[in-house]
Amino acid sequence: MKRFAPILSFLATLAVWQAFVRMLHVPVYLVPGPVEIAHAFLSDAGGLLRALLATLSVTFIALLAACILGVSLACAMAANSWARALIKPWAIILQVTPVVAVAPLIVVWVNDPFAAMVVCATIVAFFPIFSNTAAGLEATPQDLLDLFRLNNATRLQEIRLLRLPAALPYFLAGLRVSGGLALVGAVVAEFVTGAGGVASGLAFRILESGYRLQIPRMFACLALLSAAGLAINAGLGALSQFIIRTRS
Amino acid sequence: MPLDARAPALRPCPGVRIEGLSLHFGAQPLFDGLSFDLQAGRLTALLGESGVGKTTLLRVVAGLEAPERGRVAASDAQPLAGRVAFMGQQDLLLPWLSALGNVTLGARLRGERPDRDRALSLLGRVGLADRADASPEALSGGMRQRVALARTLYEDRPIVLMDEPFSALDSLTRARIQALAAELLAGRTVLLITHDPWEACRLADVLLVLQGNPATLSAPLVVGGATPRAVDDANVLTTQGKLLKQLIGEEK
Repeated sequence: MKRFAPILSFLATLAVWQAFVRMLHVPVYLVPGPVEIAHAFLSDAGGLLRALLATLSVTFIALLAACILGVSLACAMAANSWARALIKPWAIILQVTPVVAVAPLIVVWVNDPFAAMVVCATIVAFFPIFSNTAAGLEATPQDLLDLFRLNNATRLQEIRLLRLPAALPYFLAGLRVSGGLALVGAVVAEFVTGAGGVASGLAFRILESGYRLQIPRMFACLALLSAAGLAINAGLGALSQFIIRTRS
Repeated sequence: MPLDARAPALRPCPGVRIEGLSLHFGAQPLFDGLSFDLQAGRLTALLGESGVGKTTLLRVVAGLEAPERGRVAASDAQPLAGRVAFMGQQDLLLPWLSALGNVTLGARLRGERPDRDRALSLLGRVGLADRADASPEALSGGMRQRVALARTLYEDRPIVLMDEPFSALDSLTRARIQALAAELLAGRTVLLITHDPWEACRLADVLLVLQGNPATLSAPLVVGGATPRAVDDANVLTTQGKLLKQLIGEEK
């Protein structure tokens, strides 16, 4: 029974919401009820799902780029103290600078709007993967490192056979955080680039619905984004568990 | 069994000479001109309370830490590097490798083809023939430490350094593994670091106590009789009592 508690509470909230909106005659352009939102979604399901797909493709490409960049830079830092000294300050600068502030610059520099959005989302998603992997590579137990040194292991072997496997749980925890952030980054990027036309994602649809006062449609977009975020989080969680379970 | 795990592959084990070792821990002098020998083919136990520098001393002998002054050399004048195996307080098994994979880890690091049969026979020797494919987390603490012992033996190094290898085990498991280790390591030059006088008395050919600051060594103590000695051996129990008194400072 407890397993269904979240679903029950969710349905109950929707019911109460709908009841309030009905009874208090709240105008639909202020707060639409769940029924109106569902209706708005169904009247343009194809268009909204295509928009979701556009946003998700930015999200996943950015997440992949963040993985490649984050892991390789973290490895470079673990392999070489010079690389550490050179990379670390830039990584922190990148993290503390708000992406919303940098995004207009990126739009100017990167000609293609899709690529610009991917760059923005990558910047947001990069840090948790990078810092977690770096921490994992650092946190390898000294005793195990000694064991490798006694066996005359090379620096490369140490990273490949010891530090990377030891950092895997850290990386996966970072990946889960970055998954959510990549979606946030994609949405922010869409807001800033305002990419219309073919590649327009859900964030653009939210802006568009707002201008046209199609508030139920706006809510429908929001609900889709939340659902996508939940799915990404759950999916990456399941992936992490699967990887940890199958490697041993 | 097909392969003899006990004989270190047809070569005599050298002794180790530690000479004039000096080392600070921060501003604190740990050793000042410390010298002693590990006799060839014998098990030397080094006793001392925590913080006295036992582990540091072992790391220096292993070549993992450089002393400020002094040197560590083998009695046959060959370099020590590559001839030392290490067994620590934790089992140091890689959690993502099977028991077998952990035993053959050294070979993999050296780029050699792992000798599966030899590894399996060693696992059999420590009583884990049927757990070769188990991951470390599926094994008990005692089993993991036995895998670590099998790995140490697989390395087949003439010199073996052990840092409180059995201290994390319950007393029954400890007593069993002590006996097994003494039997399997016979003939090698072993330095066993421990804080347990009973363990030292059961296993050691030569017993040294490290005490003071900077630390100095007591005169070598010999318990007598073949190792591993019985858990209730009269010599073991008397010497253990004497050592314990000395360590807690009741007897100078």
